[in-house]
Amino acid sequence: MIPAWILDIFAAIMLVVAAVSAARLVAARPWRPGGRRAALADIDVAHLLMAIAMAGQLASGLRTLPDGVWEVIFAVMTAWFAYRVVRDTRVSGIRALAGGHCAPHLIHAAAMLYMFLALSAPAAGGSGEMGGMSGMGTLQLPLLAFLFALLLVGYSIWDLDQLSGPGASGHYSLAAARVAPTGPVLAGVGAPAGPGAAAGPALAGASPALSAVEPAEAVQVPPASAPADGTGVLAPWVATGCRIAMGVTMTFMLLIMI
Amino acid sequence: MSEIATAGVRPAARGRLGARAGAAKGAPDVRRLLQLGLAGIWLLDGLLQYQAFMFSKGFSDMLAGTASGNPGAVASPITWDATLIAHHAVALNAIFATIQLLLGIGIAWRPTVRVALAASIAWSLGVWWFGEGLGMVLTGDASPVNGAPGAVILYALLAVLLWPADRPGKPAPFTAARAVGAPAARALWLVLWLSLAYFALLPGNRAPQALHDMIAGMEDGEPGWLAALDRGAASLVAHEGLTASIVLAIALVIVAVGVYLPAPAARGTLVMAIVVAAVIWVFGEAFGEIMTGGATDPNSGPLLALLALTYWPARAVVTASARTAPAGAGEGMTAS
Repeated sequence: MIPAWILDIFAAIMLVVAAVSAARLVAARPWRPGGRRAALADIDVAHLLMAIAMAGQLASGLRTLPDGVWEVIFAVMTAWFAYRVVRDTRVSGIRALAGGHCAPHLIHAAAMLYMFLALSAPAAGGSGEMGGMSGMGTLQLPLLAFLFALLLVGYSIWDLDQLSGPGASGHYSLAAARVAPTGPVLAGVGAPAGPGAAAGPALAGASPALSAVEPAEAVQVPPASAPADGTGVLAPWVATGCRIAMGVTMTFMLLIMI
Repeated sequence: MSEIATAGVRPAARGRLGARAGAAKGAPDVRRLLQLGLAGIWLLDGLLQYQAFMFSKGFSDMLAGTASGNPGAVASPITWDATLIAHHAVALNAIFATIQLLLGIGIAWRPTVRVALAASIAWSLGVWWFGEGLGMVLTGDASPVNGAPGAVILYALLAVLLWPADRPGKPAPFTAARAVGAPAARALWLVLWLSLAYFALLPGNRAPQALHDMIAGMEDGEPGWLAALDRGAASLVAHEGLTASIVLAIALVIVAVGVYLPAPAARGTLVMAIVVAAVIWVFGEAFGEIMTGGATDPNSGPLLALLALTYWPARAVVTASARTAPAGAGEGMTAS
């Protein structure tokens, strides 16, 4: 049996991820006019929900919702990110699967759905409730768990590499967005762009961070009244860091339940 | 979450964006991609080490079992180590798992790639001895089909070959040659694959039922479909141990000398190496027995395939001296 303190450590990491994701949502205020676009908030909502669910799986004392509710939540989340990946793929082709930021979330959501469905099946034994893994539940279809683990490890390693690379940009940028976007212009995260700058000039003078941004990740920058996206808790690397932590923890859970 | 406006962006502007993106990122560096593959396997290893089995007495018993058949000088430290782990299973296994997890993260995190690769070499050598009984190469029981010469020694070999440095001089003909030079890299490949061929022909492996028993023995604890696959493969080689061993040895020798052939032929033998590695991984190693919940690593199959990729002839693998990288682009930080 896995020592409870190891599960507790991973649960604690998930609680931190949940707290950070909640803080990002609050800071971004996507529900208010001028707030961050809801299309970006979905990432933080997904992180928040997945982290809470995983913490509950790892430590039974942290359980919140019944498994059935989580299954519905992650089914909806999987469908949503599948839609976004399809949309990204139409814009930038197959690169969206490797370089986009929706594909990893699709895998995360699908892996969560699989974990709940495969363990709550009657053949898994017990009451069908995921009451913490100290008792070591077993997943059905272990090949699927293995494949999810490989994908999650792949994305986590890729994220780590991109986050630490000299050309880190967009959602990978560690130093990104020390400067808040100031207008509805073509600009990367935090790329300096003057008010009223046109798309062409903005591109011509863009920083390397801007030039590496992929079309699939393109969205409308909020107007000047928006919160300073990319600074503090809203810095892109914070979300990527959360994603890495969740990917590693999810892989851990899949492997110990095989 | 990159925030960049697209609404209203002209196609021409987007074209420039794409072109600039390509220029900024440059061509993907093969060695870095292979390093990431190694990092991924280390990360997987670390997480596998957290499985419940590893905290049980079964793990220390498994380690102690590797002492069997080894010379006393090799076996005694293994027995001591296994006893120590049996007494402190939780603490020591948690440390082992965390070390491997950190090795994976360290290799993937560019600023620490050198430290992590160096540490992985030391760790691999330790595990090869204390955890795998030197891959059983001294016992006469080693077989390429069940993971000889020990999966973990391949981690060390990969770390050496993927070291983020370039030898001065003419461009390396393949990635593995960048750090150690082509002659040394080819010699390492030759020794590895010839040793595998030798192991395939050991008396214990060429016995009529040897290969059959080895493959059939993998089905315990596996999912039904994989157990059926193992049974089918085992039945194919039943009573054909000698023939199968000779065929395997010939294939391994061809792979071994392949890196000395011209590029087109070398590519063919490397594809053959990857196919052999895949067959070994699926049928001989049952995917490293990961689906039984008791695997410490994915075994040698994926590592042999990764190794083969490091020898893939490149059109233009450039060395540091030949590279026209901007000043300040440090090794391990850029195209390493």
